[in-house]
Amino acid sequence: MTALRIIIDIFIALGAFFALAGVIGIIKMPDTYCRMQASTCITTAGVLGVCAGALLYAIFVMHHPATAVKVVVIAGLIFITNPVGAHAIAKGAYQHGIRPEKEMEVDDLRRDFDE
Amino acid sequence: MQNQKMKKTKFPSFLVTFGISYLFWILLTWSTEPQELVAGAIVCVAVALFSARFFVHNDGTAFGGPSKVFISLFYSFVIFMIELFKANWDMAKRCYGGCKKVNPGIVKVPVELKSDYGLANLANSITLTPGTITMEITEENGQNYFYVHWIDVTKPSGKEAGDEIKGVMEKWIRRIWP
Repeated sequence: MTALRIIIDIFIALGAFFALAGVIGIIKMPDTYCRMQASTCITTAGVLGVCAGALLYAIFVMHHPATAVKVVVIAGLIFITNPVGAHAIAKGAYQHGIRPEKEMEVDDLRRDFDE
Repeated sequence: MQNQKMKKTKFPSFLVTFGISYLFWILLTWSTEPQELVAGAIVCVAVALFSARFFVHNDGTAFGGPSKVFISLFYSFVIFMIELFKANWDMAKRCYGGCKKVNPGIVKVPVELKSDYGLANLANSITLTPGTITMEITEENGQNYFYVHWIDVTKPSGKEAGDEIKGVMEKWIRRIWP
């Protein structure tokens, strides 16, 4: 039982590690799009680690299948809906005219679509 | 949208939408009482009637067989997870290192896929891996292009950047949805 608790703790700590990386990125990255990139860390590895830990906990410690199923559904729905929101926010920000202060290395979208 | 004629709901797409929403109902309620099951069936029929034409774009047989379901499960739980953790590790190093090593840019990469499902799946896979976000999909002369925001531009636009960004993901998605 102790080994199982250690495995669960490792999963949750891994999720927290990646979520902290994402938060640092959101605060310190230089422009909007890079901040969005860092936030992806939270919604993928962070959610996955925490949900894996919660799933093991629900199955082996709580013995409650309904909770386990809900954890899986939460993880799946986050994975389906997150990229859709990311597309919409990135494209909306670009069309609104938000550009990074430092010139981008290459900017094909401006080359092909702007004036 | 007003001048466009609404697509008619076909029966197979209605059936697929009903099946998926009923599955979610059962998973979320997690009880086999007849009251719950009947109420869920009624709600799911209503939902499927109204939303099947938006949810399923062809005849509802996009998966086309158990082997493709198996390949898509293998892709999502093995191939994609490996790519995801490589990219996450790279991003975490960048963030803990003080966010100095960034070299952002938007590159245009060619994509070999043709179907809507394949394009959507590849775009979502690219967006989910930290470091790349798909911003726009266009079609020029029968060839599809993605505009991808990339946090560390190491290759010029075109095929080389595409191979770097897509990795093995495109090859696997092409086996499911060509």
